[in-house]
Amino acid sequence: MSQTTTIRGNNQRKLLKGLLSVRNISRITALIPPAALVFVTAILFVEALPAIKYNGLGFLNHTQWRPGNFYVNPVTTNGVSHPVGASYGALPLILGTIESAVLALVIAVPISIGAALVIVQKLPDRFSQGVGLFLEILAGIPSVIFGLWGTLTLGPILARDVFPYISRIVPNIPIFNFFKGNTGHGEGLLTSGIVLAIMVIPIIASTSRDLLRQVPRLTKEGGTALGFTDWETNKLVALPWIRTGMIGASVLGLARALGETMAVAMTSGAVLGANPSNAFLPMTTIAATIVSQLDSALTDATGLATRTLAEGALLLTVITLVTNIAARLLVRKVSSTALPIGRGI
Amino acid sequence: MMEWKEDTDMQSFGDLHQNARFSEFNVEKDSSDLIIATRGLTLGFGQKTVLSDINLSVIRGSITALIGPSGSGKTTFLRSLNRMNDNVKGYWRKGDVLFNSSSIWSPDTDLLALRRRMGMLFQRANPFPMSIEHNVVAGVKAHNIAKKSQLKQIARLRLEEVGLWGAVENRLHDSPFRLSGGQQQLLCLARALAIGPDVLLLDEPTSALDPISIEAVENLILDLSPAISFIVVTHNLAQARRISHNTAFFYEGQLKEYGPTKRIFNDPSHPETQRYVSGRMG
Ligand SMILES: Nc1ncnc2c1ncn2[C@@H]1O[C@H](COP(=O)(O)OP(=O)(O)OP(=O)(O)O)[C@@H](O)[C@H]1O
Ligand SMILES: [Mg+2]
Repeated sequence: MSQTTTIRGNNQRKLLKGLLSVRNISRITALIPPAALVFVTAILFVEALPAIKYNGLGFLNHTQWRPGNFYVNPVTTNGVSHPVGASYGALPLILGTIESAVLALVIAVPISIGAALVIVQKLPDRFSQGVGLFLEILAGIPSVIFGLWGTLTLGPILARDVFPYISRIVPNIPIFNFFKGNTGHGEGLLTSGIVLAIMVIPIIASTSRDLLRQVPRLTKEGGTALGFTDWETNKLVALPWIRTGMIGASVLGLARALGETMAVAMTSGAVLGANPSNAFLPMTTIAATIVSQLDSALTDATGLATRTLAEGALLLTVITLVTNIAARLLVRKVSSTALPIGRGI
Repeated sequence: MMEWKEDTDMQSFGDLHQNARFSEFNVEKDSSDLIIATRGLTLGFGQKTVLSDINLSVIRGSITALIGPSGSGKTTFLRSLNRMNDNVKGYWRKGDVLFNSSSIWSPDTDLLALRRRMGMLFQRANPFPMSIEHNVVAGVKAHNIAKKSQLKQIARLRLEEVGLWGAVENRLHDSPFRLSGGQQQLLCLARALAIGPDVLLLDEPTSALDPISIEAVENLILDLSPAISFIVVTHNLAQARRISHNTAFFYEGQLKEYGPTKRIFNDPSHPETQRYVSGRMG
C-alpha cells in the first residue's frame, strides 16, 4: 500500500520533472513570441472589424481623413453606426510611414557601416569601447527627447541652412526632384527621416560592429596578400561576409523606424489628409496619427474613430510583417549564392 | 613497407627533374641571381622571439622547400616575406629581407605591388564570400589586370590549371564554402595564380589533398617554375625531395641547415636535420 503511494509519488514527480525539462521549457518559451503576435493581430482585427467593414478598400487608396460630425445623430451604413460624413483614407499615412522609414534607412545604413568600420579597424581599443558606450546610450534615449530636440532645435536649423542647399544641388530627375521646391519650416518628411536615422543608427551600427568583428582574420588576410588596399579588402571581403547579417540589422532598424511614434508625431508636422509634394513639407505616419488622433477619436460616440485607429494599427502590423518576410527572402537569396551557410544572421 | 616503396618511386621522378637543372639552382655554388634574400632576420611577437638570425637566399626560378617541426617558425617566416606580419599585434623585427636586391621595408617599396608580385597560399583555405568564379578573378578584377570580357576565360584557365575545373564547372556561381577543404585550397591557389606573381609562397599547399591532386599540384609547380619562384612549406618530406631544388630546415626558430635538397636528405651536416629527415623527430 505504502509502496504504491511512493510509486505514484515518484511518477508524479517524474511527470512534473518531464514537463519542466529544459527541452519542454525551451519549446514553450519559443512559442511565446509567435503566440503573442497572433494574439495581438487577432485582437486588433476584432477591434477594427467595424471600421474595416465601413471604410472598405477606400482605406488603402483614399487620401481624406474625416471623422465626420460628432454633434448630430449617427447614421448606419453596412450595419455600422457612424457619424455623418465620416470618411477615412489612410493612403498618405501609409506612404508617409514607408517614405520616412526608407529615408531613415538610406541615411542610417551607410553611416552605420562607416562608423562600424572605423570602430573595428581604426580606433584603438579604449576609444572603440567609448564609442560603443556612446552608441548604447544613444539607443537608450527615450524617443520623446529626440522628438522635442528634432522639432525645437534640429528642424529650424535644417530649414534655414540645410534644406535650401539640398534643394539647390540635387539634380532635377525623378526621385531626386522630390528634394526640390518649397523648403518649408523644418517640420516634415525629411526632418522626421533624419531624426529617425539618428535613432536607428545605434541599432544598425552596433550590429554591424559585432558582425565585422566576426569576419575571420585569415579571410581578410587573403585580400591583403593579393595586394588589396584596406578599402578593397573591406569592400570585397569584409562587407560581403557580413551582408546577410546587415540585411537583418537593417530590417531591425526599419521596423523601429516604421513603428516609431513620438519622434515622428513631433517632427513630421503631423498633418492629415495629403501627401507632401516634396520631402521638406509636413506629413504624417500611421503610428503618429494613432497617437495624435486618439484623444479626439475617443469623443466619437459611435466608436468608429477608435476602430479606424485600430485598423491603422493592424495595417502597421501587416507592413512590418511583410517587411520582415521580404527580408527573410532576400537573406535566403543572398546567402544561397556565396555566403557561408549559417553565417551572418 | 608500402609507403617506403612509394617514397622511392616518387623520388626517382624528383631526381629526373632535379638532374636537369640541379646545378642551375644550387644555392651553395651559385649566388648570382637571388630573388629573395633574408639578412639576419630576427623577429617575434611581444616578449617572444620566433625567428633568430635567418640568412636564407632563394635563387630566382628555383623551388625551395621549408621543412621543420611544428612551431619551428616556417609560417612566420613565409608571412614575413610579403610583410603579412606587419599588422600583427606585438610584431617586431631586426635584420632585413631583400626582394630583387632591395629591402622590402625600404620607404621606396610599394607594399601593394610587392604583395601582388609575391602570391601567397595560406596554411588553411580562405576563400572570399563570393561565387567560385568570382573568387578566382577577385585579384584580377581589383587590379584591373584584364578586361571584363576576359574574366570568365581567365577563371576557367586557372581552374583547369589547378585541376578544379571538372569539379566546379557546373557550379561556378555557387558558394565556395560548399567545396571540400582541399578543393577550397585549390581555389585559393587558382586565385593566387591569376594575378601572375613572380614568387609563390605556399604554406602546406597539399596537406588537405588526395594523392592524385597532390601529384597534379606538384606537376603544376614544376611546370610553372622557373617562370615563378616557389617557396613551399611542407611536412611531407617525400614531397620536398620530389619537387624542390633546395631545402631549408627550420628548428626552434633557427635556420639549422640550408642547401641542395639532395644533400640535405642524403648527407645532412647537423644531427637535428639528420634526425628530422630520417623521420626520427616529429
Ligand atoms: N601572432 C603571434 N603571436 C605570438 N606568437 C606567435 C604568433 N604567430 C606565431 N607565433 C609563434 O611562433 C612560433 C612559430 O609558429 P609558426 O606558425 O611559424 O610555426 P610553423 O613552423 O608554421 O608550424 P606548423 O608546422 O605547425 O605550421 C610558434 O611558437 C607560435 O606560437
Ligand atoms: Mg605553419
